[in-house]
Amino acid sequence: MNDMSSNQTIADGKKRYSAGVLKYAQMGYWEPDYTPKDTDVIALFRITPQDGVDAVEAAAAVAGESSTATWTVVWTDRLTACDKYRAKAYRVDPVPNSSGEYFAYIAYDLDLFEGGSIANLTASIIGNVFGFKPLKALRLEDMRLPVAYVKTFQGPATGIVVERERLNVYGRPLLGATVKPKLGLSGRNYGRVVYEALKGGLDFTKDDENINSQPFMHWRDRFLYCMEAVNRASAATGEVKGTYLNVTAGTMEQMYERANFAKELGSVIVMIDLVIGYTAIQSMAKWARDNDMILHLHRAGHSTYTRQRSHGVSFRVIAKWMRLAGVDHLHAGTVVGKLEGDPATTKGYYDIFREERNPMALENGIFFDQDWASLNKMMPVASGGIHAGQMHQLLTYLGEDVVLQFGGGTIGHPHGIQAGATANRVALEAMVFARNAGRDIWNEGEDILRDAAKTCTPLKQALDVWKDVSFNYASTDAPDFAPTPEVSM
Amino acid sequence: MKLRQGQFSFLPDLSDDDIRVQAQYAIDNGWAVSVEYSDDPHPRNTYWEMWGHPMFDNPDAAAVVFEVNECRKEHGGKYIRVIAFDASPGWESIRMSFIVNRPATEPGFRLVRQEGEGRVVRYTIESYATREPEGQRYA
Amino acid sequence: MTEDADTDAPTRPTHVDLAQSFQESGVRDVLRELDETLIGLEPVKSRIRETAALLLVDKARRQMGLATETPTLHMSFTGNPGTGKTTVALKMADLLHRLGYVRKGHLVTVTRDDLVGQYIGHTAPKTKEVLKKAMGGVLFIDEAYYLYRPENERDYGQEAIEILLQVMENNRDDLVVILAGYADRMDRFFASNPGFRSRIAHHIEFPDYTNGELLHISERMLAAQNYRLDDGARVAMAEYIGARRGQPHFANARSVRNALDRARLRQANRLFNEAKGPLDADTLSTITEPDLRASRVFQGGLAVDRLDGDRRTGQAMSQAAE
Repeated sequence: MNDMSSNQTIADGKKRYSAGVLKYAQMGYWEPDYTPKDTDVIALFRITPQDGVDAVEAAAAVAGESSTATWTVVWTDRLTACDKYRAKAYRVDPVPNSSGEYFAYIAYDLDLFEGGSIANLTASIIGNVFGFKPLKALRLEDMRLPVAYVKTFQGPATGIVVERERLNVYGRPLLGATVKPKLGLSGRNYGRVVYEALKGGLDFTKDDENINSQPFMHWRDRFLYCMEAVNRASAATGEVKGTYLNVTAGTMEQMYERANFAKELGSVIVMIDLVIGYTAIQSMAKWARDNDMILHLHRAGHSTYTRQRSHGVSFRVIAKWMRLAGVDHLHAGTVVGKLEGDPATTKGYYDIFREERNPMALENGIFFDQDWASLNKMMPVASGGIHAGQMHQLLTYLGEDVVLQFGGGTIGHPHGIQAGATANRVALEAMVFARNAGRDIWNEGEDILRDAAKTCTPLKQALDVWKDVSFNYASTDAPDFAPTPEVSM
Repeated sequence: MKLRQGQFSFLPDLSDDDIRVQAQYAIDNGWAVSVEYSDDPHPRNTYWEMWGHPMFDNPDAAAVVFEVNECRKEHGGKYIRVIAFDASPGWESIRMSFIVNRPATEPGFRLVRQEGEGRVVRYTIESYATREPEGQRYA
Repeated sequence: MTEDADTDAPTRPTHVDLAQSFQESGVRDVLRELDETLIGLEPVKSRIRETAALLLVDKARRQMGLATETPTLHMSFTGNPGTGKTTVALKMADLLHRLGYVRKGHLVTVTRDDLVGQYIGHTAPKTKEVLKKAMGGVLFIDEAYYLYRPENERDYGQEAIEILLQVMENNRDDLVVILAGYADRMDRFFASNPGFRSRIAHHIEFPDYTNGELLHISERMLAAQNYRLDDGARVAMAEYIGARRGQPHFANARSVRNALDRARLRQANRLFNEAKGPLDADTLSTITEPDLRASRVFQGGLAVDRLDGDRRTGQAMSQAAE
């Protein structure tokens, strides 16, 4: 039997592959001297070992379980170039101010993965390892995807630039709203909401994630009424308008059928939910590219694994996978609204969506330099508890290339949906105008809105109704690193 | 009907000074500013007529206002817009677009419906103005 | 999106502190720089000080609501070549920028060729292009009288003049035009183009430099390049200036610069031919008497007609830093 107290790789083949149980570190999954290759996939895990389990061994175990290892030594390893296929944990750092948690850096050779398949990538990286007993908790915090691998993916079907060209909308965030109530409206009533909101000044309306084909409204009915509303609104304003028709369904065949019908009706955009799975998402992205459609993804379900700090998968990793998979729109938080997200972490997500290159930025939760190799950019979507009175904050935090979705903030307007939409659009245009004119919108935002409301009654009403609404709760997923040398939490 | 294209169509009409300030924002970002006009405001009429080349080398936006006013002299009865082109990698497209001149009356668009099978309706929209030949619209 | 002026009328100041705005606008710095860097030109400097004072007061009056119109700021700079017109125009652009009369403060220098086309339809776009580039700053038209050629009634210069006049009138907030050239020719130009005369508010005359000033200028030019004159060379230079002034195409500081360029050439040649062994920095930096005496100017000036002061128009002229 081997000495179980060491973390040293056992070099001697006879000893290494003799039957029995070895520590993962001894099997070669811990290589502190390893320098990752440019072509390696790198994963950063937050690991919380069980009491008494050494952090290095825990990291090596994660490397092993997410690549070639099984619980015991197998001689058949020796029939392979196993040194290459073994993932290598090469660095373990204690998490600042979190006792018992460690950041483990693990490098994977590119040949471990099939090109162009998120399913294959995730089957390795998050396949088995999350239920591994020696760990109390495990979280995939970030990944470095090598250019060679990025290039095997299609990327966003349309991208921000072409989306703007197709919509003929430049220089300002896009505006949207989710039709409310989420459930129960008939097709005819549903289309009314779409028409009012688009005519009032929004660019998009949106089905909610669970609007598919239910007894109160079957999908064809919804599509037909919605497209009448879209075209009526377009004629009334002279603008290109769209509504995200949710094509999520039980099978791929049904999704294609619905997507094709949306296309036939002249929609510029279709929508899917994250819960359909990675492969279905990639299929729809390919369909969208082939059919000149913008593809909106609702991140339904993500909070089950993205929200807790110690266990699961960070949303920034999901964002990277979705950029590879090829969606155009993805929800990414509002900072100021009702859903989870602190400003620094949210900035990290937005950068992953929209930048050509992400430099390492620990204060934003970005652990690696990431080059996107000219993959299209994704349009972030901000929705959930936002309203016109926050326009200066939204523009400052989220920038120009974003869809701002005011569901309640449009449909809940005291003077109707059109008035709500107009209030949002006027607030937005006034804020962009003021920003371009060099005004300090962060500090003068409320004055700018009040001035704009002088010539826009709907905006004045909106500001009065929602003036005191804000959602100030502590975030459950703040970055571990502060921009200053002191690590603050 | 008021044509709502462009980034400031829900605000009161822009003054020359407003146009200058917005165009200066584009210039300060390194974007080339261009003036275009059209008498066919269909939302998918991508190519409005160019009033000269995009201005690549003008440090002050008074040049843009100057060209807008020159364009108004000849095409004051039409739509005129100012757009800004960003040549930087990964963008290479338009960054700003706003309307700076409108016809005196805007008749808007007709929605044409063609009923098909299975309740499918094909929609097309058509500017009322385009019933007249180019150059003879908007009086 | 016009601001609502009625409800938010700015409160007007009841007093102004001219000394403070002189200081804060940076005008003091520009004037001091002008004094320090330019030799001589006293009448020019005092005209610029007067102009600056006028503009400061005008600005204060507008703040108090006593004046509303943008004053006419177009100028003419007259004087012989090499008397510092372009240099002063640069300073003037800076000054106007600091006072808030132009937004950017850059200087665009052109001559007739930049404004006037050779074929029908070319002139208007060329002139407009130049005007657009100059907006936010100062347009300096060197030898402006060449725009007007009365001998050819179909000359396209007239088209450029009309556009210039229109923009000088309608875009007073956007740019300032400086017309420059010889005094006598400019007078004739204004006489036959009263439109210009009436739109030019400030006439500044640039006198020729005295011999002493030119010697001073020559030493400063050399010092800027880490050269110096030895005693013999200084005497020769003074004589050179006196002789050169009496010869054709004398161009003040520009003639001095050309003379020094050739002296440096001769110095290099001399060092190359005569040097035996290593040379020290002092030797490499010293212009000696023979480097200057070899000039044809001392023999009554023959080559100078070709090499120096040719009254060249166009780029060569406008680019020559004076």
